[in-house]
This record gives sequence, C-alpha cells and structure tokens, in this order.
Amino acid sequence: MKPRHLGASPQPSGLGIMLRIVGRIQRRSALLWVLVLGGTMVGTAAGVAALYDTSAKIHTYAEAVTSGSALVAVNGKVEGIDSLGGVIQDEFGFMAAFLLPLLGIALVARATRREEESGRLEMLLGGRISRHEPTLAALLVATATIVATGVLFAVGLAVFGVPPAGSVLYALSLVGLAFVFAGLAAVLAQLAQHTRGVYLWSLMVLAASYVLRGVGDVSGTWVSWLSPLGWAEKAAPFGDLRWWALAIPLTVGLALGGAALWLAARRDLGSALIRGGAGPQRAATPLRSPIGLAAWIHRPAILGWFAGGALLTGTMGALSQQGLDAMAGNPAFAAAMGITNGRPLDGFVAAIQLYLAVIAAGYVVQAIGTLRAEEAAGRLETRLSGTLSRDRWLASHVLVVLGGLISIVLGSSLVLGLATALSAGDMAEFGPALGSGLDYLPAELVLAGLALAVYGLRPRLFAIAWAGYAVMTFIAFLGPGLKFPQWVLDISPTTHVGNPPAGTIQAGALTIMAAVALALMMIGFAAFRRRGVPQG
Amino acid sequence: MTDTHFVIRTEGLTKVFGKVRALDGLDLTVHPGEVHGFLGPNGSGKSTTIRVLLGLMKATSGHAELFGGDPWRDAPRLHRRLAYVAGDVALWPALTGGECLDVLAATHGGVNGQRRADLIERFDLDPTKRVRDYSKGNRQKVVLIAALAADAELLVLDEPTSGLDPLMEQAFQQCIRDRREDGVTVLLSSHIMGEVEALADRVSIIRRGRTITSGTLADLRSSTRSAVHAVTVREPDGLAEAEGVADHQSERLDGGVDSRFTIDPDHLDSVIGVLHAAGIHTLTLTPPSLDALFLRNYGPPLGPDEAAADESLAEAPS
Repeated sequence: MKPRHLGASPQPSGLGIMLRIVGRIQRRSALLWVLVLGGTMVGTAAGVAALYDTSAKIHTYAEAVTSGSALVAVNGKVEGIDSLGGVIQDEFGFMAAFLLPLLGIALVARATRREEESGRLEMLLGGRISRHEPTLAALLVATATIVATGVLFAVGLAVFGVPPAGSVLYALSLVGLAFVFAGLAAVLAQLAQHTRGVYLWSLMVLAASYVLRGVGDVSGTWVSWLSPLGWAEKAAPFGDLRWWALAIPLTVGLALGGAALWLAARRDLGSALIRGGAGPQRAATPLRSPIGLAAWIHRPAILGWFAGGALLTGTMGALSQQGLDAMAGNPAFAAAMGITNGRPLDGFVAAIQLYLAVIAAGYVVQAIGTLRAEEAAGRLETRLSGTLSRDRWLASHVLVVLGGLISIVLGSSLVLGLATALSAGDMAEFGPALGSGLDYLPAELVLAGLALAVYGLRPRLFAIAWAGYAVMTFIAFLGPGLKFPQWVLDISPTTHVGNPPAGTIQAGALTIMAAVALALMMIGFAAFRRRGVPQG
Repeated sequence: MTDTHFVIRTEGLTKVFGKVRALDGLDLTVHPGEVHGFLGPNGSGKSTTIRVLLGLMKATSGHAELFGGDPWRDAPRLHRRLAYVAGDVALWPALTGGECLDVLAATHGGVNGQRRADLIERFDLDPTKRVRDYSKGNRQKVVLIAALAADAELLVLDEPTSGLDPLMEQAFQQCIRDRREDGVTVLLSSHIMGEVEALADRVSIIRRGRTITSGTLADLRSSTRSAVHAVTVREPDGLAEAEGVADHQSERLDGGVDSRFTIDPDHLDSVIGVLHAAGIHTLTLTPPSLDALFLRNYGPPLGPDEAAADESLAEAPS
C-alpha cells in the first residue's frame, strides 16, 4: 500500500498532474477559442437562416455558387448545398478551413514545444512525470477543447433549424479536421526545435491541404481525398451523410498522436531533428543599426504573411476568368459574392482585395505584438540601456512594420494583378487590381494605430488589438454575404474604403482613416515615452 | 543640481506599483572611481533602483541623479557613458554570441576591440554559437563581455555573476579590478558576499526599498561587534561583566579557560587588557564578515560561534 497523508486524496498519477498543469495553462486561451469559434459559427448560422428563409432563396444561392469553380476553389465543394445546412457550410467553409486546423495546432504547440523550449518541461520531467505524459496531456486537453467547440457547433446549427443528423455530422467533421492538425502539431513538436517551427511546418501542411482540396474540388477528382480539408468535406453532412468518412481523420489523428507519443518517450529532452549549426562571429553591419535589427526581427513574419497573401491572390486571380464566366451565366452568383453593381471582374477583384486586407491587417497586429514579446523577454530593457532612445527604438520598429505591410500588400496585389490579367487575357486588368490593394492601406493603418496605442498605453491588454482585428475580419468576411445592417458594417475600417475597384474610392474616408491612424500612433509613441519599462 | 562629484545619487527615492511600494525613500551615493556594492534580499528593490537610475522607470517621488543629470529625461545621452548588465539576461536566441556582442556594442558609447577579443579569450566564450544553444553561464558571459569591453565610465551590474563557475567568477573579479584601475566606477548589485567583500570599496545595504546602512566596509565593520575566541591560562577577571562584552560563554579546558564572546569596537582595547592579564594562550578576533553584517540587518542576531564560523581565517596562536 502506498503511504498516504491523513485525510488527503490518493496521489494523482503523473498524467493526472500533467492534465491539471496543461489545463491550467490553457484554460483561458481554450475558453477564448471555444467562444470565438462557437460565436462565429452561430453568427454565421443565424445570418444565413435569416437571409435564406425560403427554399427558393436557398435554391438561387446554390445555383449561384455552383456555377463555375472559383467559389468551389475558395469555399470547397459542398454536397447538398441546396439546403440551409449546405449554405451555412459554404459560407463558413473558408474560415473553417483555417480556424479549425489552427485551433488544433495552437492548443498543442503551446503546451508542448513552447514549454520544452522555456525549460519548464525539464523541471516537470525532473519530478515524477514520464517523458510521454506532457504530450499526452496536451493532446487530451486539445481534444476536449475541440470536442467542446464541436458541441457548440452542433447545438448552434440545430437551434437555427438545420436537421440534427446533419448538424452533428458537420460538427464532427470539423472536430476531425482540428483533431488531425492537433496530432500533426504534436508530431512536429517532437521534430522542430522551436515553437515557431511547429507553427511554420503545420501551416505549410495546411496550405498544401488547402491547395490539394481546391485542385481536387475544381477538377472533380480523387485529389480532394489527399487533403484533411477534403475528408471533412467528403463527410457530406447535408448530402449523403457519409458517417464512415469520419473514420479517416480519426485514424490519421490517432496515428499521428501515437507517433508523437512514441517519439516523446524515446527522444532526448530538448532534442530536435531540425537545428541550427554555428554562425558568424561578428554581426553584419546592418544588424548593428536599430532599423537593421528591427528588420531582422520582423523578416520571418513578413515573408510568412506575404506567402499567405500571394497564395490567396495568385490562386483566386488565376480563377478570375472562371468566376467571370460563372457570373455571366448566373447573375445570382455575383450577388453571392457581394458584387451588386459595376463590372463583374472588378467585383471579383474587389472581393479578393478585401480578403487581402484582412491578411495585411493580421500581419500588422501580429508584428506590433512582437514588440510586446521583446519587452516581456527583457530584451527591450537591454536595448534601452544604451544610447538608443525610446523614440528611435519604437520608430525603427514601426518603420519596418509599415514597410512590411506595404511590401505584403504591394507584392500580393502585384501577384493578383498579373494572375488576373493573365487569366482574363487582358493586361488592362493589371492596374486596377494593383491599385485597389493600396487603397486599403489607410484601413490597415487604423489597425496598426490601434495596436500601437494599446502597446504604448497598456501592453498587458494587447488582446484588445486582436479583438479589434477579429471584429474587422468577421465583418469583412461575412458582412456583405449576410447583409449585416449598415451600422455594423461601418464598425470595420474596411467598409469605408469603398470596395475598389468595383465601387468608388471614398477619398474623404481614406483621409480620415489615415488621420485616425496617425493620431493613434502618436498616442502610442507618447504613452511609450512616459511609461516604465519593462511591463509584461 | 549638477554635482558631478557623484556618479550616482538618489535621495528619498520612491516607486509605487499599484499597491506595492517597491522603493520607499531610498538613498544611494556612488563616488567616481569606486566599486560600490549594492546589497539587499530578493525583492528589496535593487533592480527597481537600477531601472530608475537608467531612466527605464520613472520614480514616483524623490530625486535620482546620474552623472549629475536626470536619467528619465536624458537617458540616451547619459547612457553613452555607461554599460549595463541586466539581472535577467535576455538576448536574441537566433543570433550568435558574437553577433549579440556587436548588437549590444552598437548602443554603447564606444567599444575597445582589443579588450573585446581579450575578454572572449579570458571567459572562454565560443562566439559562433547561437544564443539558444548556450548554457545559462555562457549567456551571462556574453552580456558581461559586452559591458566590460565598452568604453564606459560607469558599469551598472545587476547580479552579474549568476550562473558563472568559480573559475569564471575569478576572471570576473580580476576584470573588475582592471577596470577600476582604469578609473571606471562600478555599481555592483550582488548576492554573493565574497564577491562584494573582495571588490567593493563601499557598500549600501537596502531592505524593503529603504537604505539601512551605507559606508566603507571598514566603517560598517567598526560599527559592528567582532567575535572573540580566547584561551587563557587563568580565568579572565570580570570578563563577563566588562563593558561592551556580550554573548559570553566560558568553560574550563585542560588547564586553560576557553572564553567566547562578542565585543563592540569601542571596548576592544580594555577587554584585550583583561585577557592579557589572564595570560593569553590563543586569541582569535574575527571581524564581522559581510554575511554577518547582512544577516544582522535581516536575520536573527548571531551568536559568537556562528559569526566565527562564517570566517574562513584559521586560528592563529598568539
């Protein structure tokens, strides 16, 4: 018999302890994920249910999005789209394809490699925790969070009148999608040396999955079956209800999770397949200047977000002729894309540019969040202990971030312009596609200003900047399709740009937004000058 | 207000974070050319004081002066003349040690290239390794080398040797002595009493954001009781009742009398007379170690045995 303390409960196992630790670390972020994802899904369902309240309207929508392959490439091929559930699946398709995998990746990466990298895992493994237990606990907590999200999905759909069986199957297919990526992240957490690597490689697999699913759906071939996104889609929750298709993500996810545990139990702590070797003895001259070091810090993020933007604009631009054909064949398709007036191709480009604006704004918020990380890690204190003034430090970073923003927008718009012009066979399309990207800059700068002001005033409350970004994304993606009231649409800065090149650019609004952005940035600078450093 | 007689001067410095008073009227004076030991238990406000002195944080009230200037207003200009080693070493994990040295050097007023190379050799640092692959001690070496190689008039060192092995600790102490020879002023916040004792000209001890005592080591010692261990031929006459004697213990020991007690500095002379009259066989006088000074200010009072045990001096027959 084990010795026990008087009146104490039996000692928990190593896994029990790990579950409590991971649960405690993840509590807040997991809750946030569940609420945001559940809210987005319920919001979409509510919007769709209100807008498509007759079967005739649903039929028109279905006709529209299935003509041509542009939307199929973006949102996926929804079987049984001629139903309320089908419309919701189609509307939610693009966001689901990124948010659910990201849910699995983030939950696992945070609890595994990040803890190992920080040295906290070493401390725990020095206690009575087995080597595989932290990974197992991370996977279990992630799975529980994913399932909770799925329950919210199913209930939310059923509440708005979607058939229960389809609701449950759709929710489960998304649960399976997140589960596969949680398993993948767990494996990568054993192989990559740093958390950043886990995210990078997982997101690359996600991008490949998205492309495979798109190619498969557009060509109508088996290629979709190679993609985890395809597996979720092939469950056909509002079509043939293929319950057996759930077995694929379940098997793959379990296999990946098992592989991760197998690796975790056998490898050395802190080891990795991918690690860097020796480096230069002296710093290159650019690195010694404040701007150079800032550029070096921000470069990976700039490249990553640019890759995402270029992938989106390149794919969609290349499909623009097909989109055009679809609109010519079916005017309702244009309405479904939120294109109501003007030349169809302009409307198509405008929709893509709005997506790009969301990507660019995401970059800006994340990049300014990096400053908070520099401060929390203690590096800002070291930087400011020399001859570098606060203003110069912040200004170098802001310049680099804004330079990154312009590069991402300009580069992606260039790709869009070329792809569109080539697809449409008319080089005249190049100019508008490129220029309209730049028109969104003031709106993106407002987000930059918000993030900078929060960073200057209260870096601890940086989540406010992300909340602002989430609101903007939600309105930009779903607002036009779901016909939100104007005052809701007006909350997002992107609304005020004027939907170029289809709509007229609101020069006055752009000026006001630029002024607001400038004012917010000045608040950020002034507050940063006055506050103590470091503040986590 | 521009009294350049002091490198650092604070008067009645306070800093309040929400409900916590991190600094509560702290006074600190550092003269040019001295190594100033800055002592205090964890959380007593040492790092906060340094951050205020570097202009990273603004004092809630009181006066802080660095090179006769206001550190909050003139931080970058004043920083030209100093180099700083922060308490928590934070470097860019993806840069190599050598790259970090150059990045840090770029924000210093000037760097002596020869000294940089010598220090890398002295501390046995591999500058081609990435920071993330360094051990804690090696990361510490990077920031130390950066600070010691800088052409600074003042070194602000916040627990600079945490993580260094004894060999490197020795190298560090030698480097500080060399820099002092060059006329550099050093503010050395530390927990390692031996290090402060070996290096510091003057010491300030703080507690809960307030200066408790400040002065040269000799000053501090002279105000503190020394431990005496004497073996005399006869019973010293009236020792236990003599003025200035405390913690007296005595026992007979094969023919002699073994006495242990503490004595305040003012009455040392007369007590030695008493002992002499009793016929001294062995006499050990242990001046208070910094540990003892420190513990006296923070901990329970020390008995003579404990005070003596702190000292590594061997007993010398008289």
